Amino acid sequence: MESKITEVYQNAPVEGKETECEKVSKLLDLVIDGEATSEDQQYFKHHIEDCVSCFESHQKQKLLKGLVCGHLKRVIVPESLALSIKAKIQKTL
Amino acid sequence: MSERTGKQLSKEEKDARFEAELLPVLDPLYNFAYRLTLDEDDANDLVQETYLKAYRFFDYFEQGTNAKAWLFRILKNSFINEFRKKSKQPAKVDYSEVEGYYNSEDVEGESGVATTTDMRTESVQDLIGDEVASALNALPVDFRTVIILCDLEGFTYEEMAKILDIPIGTVRSRLHRARNSLKEKLEKYAKSMGYNSNEI
Repeated sequence: MESKITEVYQNAPVEGKETECEKVSKLLDLVIDGEATSEDQQYFKHHIEDCVSCFESHQKQKLLKGLVCGHLKRVIVPESLALSIKAKIQKTL
Repeated sequence: MSERTGKQLSKEEKDARFEAELLPVLDPLYNFAYRLTLDEDDANDLVQETYLKAYRFFDYFEQGTNAKAWLFRILKNSFINEFRKKSKQPAKVDYSEVEGYYNSEDVEGESGVATTTDMRTESVQDLIGDEVASALNALPVDFRTVIILCDLEGFTYEEMAKILDIPIGTVRSRLHRARNSLKEKLEKYAKSMGYNSNEI
């Protein structure tokens, strides 16, 4: 559900706020992937405390990453594979 | 290969070291191969080919360095070559891909992200898993690759840049586009299931 606060932010972007949001959106993947510097992380964290729309983007992106790492089923390695690799290697000089 | 200087291991020693260092990567490597080829037999062949190549160039591998990234890189290059073969272009094997590839950085860059879905039942979990898989499989292979490397295998951007032979900036932008594309596909699905797209 779209919250009313979000709409307020979206409909009335303050000019300074907008550039801050842009900066934060560029940091989004870095933060999610643990690649942001601690300075950037602080900046990001501080911003999303106040900005609902960036907070929501962050939640969404985290969820997306969680869907891949938490829900994608791993395929089971056939038992014969390790054996056949070992056998081939033993024959290789 | 025989003229290489330096400490010579006996074949038994080399094999033992090879198995101890590289075989533990079999599971993630096979999963990567499967997600690239989307076929179990092809994944099997690709993984075997990767290990044989790694064996031939094992002397170049520095013990204790990032075995996982090294093998992923060999596999990804083999996959590309395999595609060249299939499209009947001359298959040029570039052995420089495995030479001199060292990574002194730490092995695992896990950036654990908790799953935050609210759905609890087993069958819903399965359903989500299947949907994520088909959305992912529908992405172009370059997009699929970065998402798997980053989100499933937890490689750092730097490791991904080395595995894929592209600058870190390209890793970032490709990952960003890949995620947008995946999000779009999953949002469509969520809508069709009656969820508000904002929840995904």
